[in-house]
Amino acid sequence: MTVEITTRRPVWQKILGIAVLAGLGGLCGYALADFGRDTVSRWDDELAMLMSVCLIAMGLISAGVMATRPSEVPRGCGLLQIAVLLLAGVMFALPVFGTRFASPDLIFVGIVALLIVQSVANLMLWRAADEMLRRVMAETSALAFWALQTALFVYAAAERLGLVEGITAWGMTGILMGVYLFASMVAAARRGIT
Amino acid sequence: MGLVVAGAALIDMHNRLKVLRAERDWSQAVLAERLGVSRQTVNALETGRYDPSLPLAFKIARIFEQPIESIFSDEGALP
Repeated sequence: MTVEITTRRPVWQKILGIAVLAGLGGLCGYALADFGRDTVSRWDDELAMLMSVCLIAMGLISAGVMATRPSEVPRGCGLLQIAVLLLAGVMFALPVFGTRFASPDLIFVGIVALLIVQSVANLMLWRAADEMLRRVMAETSALAFWALQTALFVYAAAERLGLVEGITAWGMTGILMGVYLFASMVAAARRGIT
Repeated sequence: MGLVVAGAALIDMHNRLKVLRAERDWSQAVLAERLGVSRQTVNALETGRYDPSLPLAFKIARIFEQPIESIFSDEGALP
């Protein structure tokens, strides 16, 4: 016989928590907008910044969850997921902000180096993951591929017919990441991972 | 419970994992560690959001010392 003890937080604590998080979100948004005032003026840069913030936020939230609810199984998965998310976030920010601090050549070399590290971390994550996490990753890839190749074909046809303007590779990358993140949320939610 | 489309048949999978775990007074984390999977995976198995692979199903059967068919069933599956 097991007895389940559920501890519910009072409403005022929940409201206070939401208010604090909303305040922090607002401050972060203001700081980011202020930081990128002179640099971020194109829609593809704005999208890249949004992706960067989302990825870094997801990495930090995952770190918080891992700290409060540590899990030994599958070993190393949590840290690898955090590393992959944070590296992806940094890589999305570097092409926009990196030239403030170093030459484009140096930034590009840095991005390639980070990409290699992230690819290795991704591979390690796949190998360390249990079967359901692998299934979620595979479903995410399949869903994102299906959505993107459909959208790309429609857009490419419209572009060829002269109905829409061309789009930059940087913009496409931002859209790809947005679709991928949405697909990962759908795939995870289907398995009850929220 | 998990709904799998296999050809024209709809297979509604059921399992008794939650009951078996409760009988042994194990938490999801304990079972997850024994199975070598994450706690989320155990939760998804119990709520029917994920059907295990054959190797994992065998492992579950060994841990609970029961045949697979007494843990998993496909009630309502069409021939």
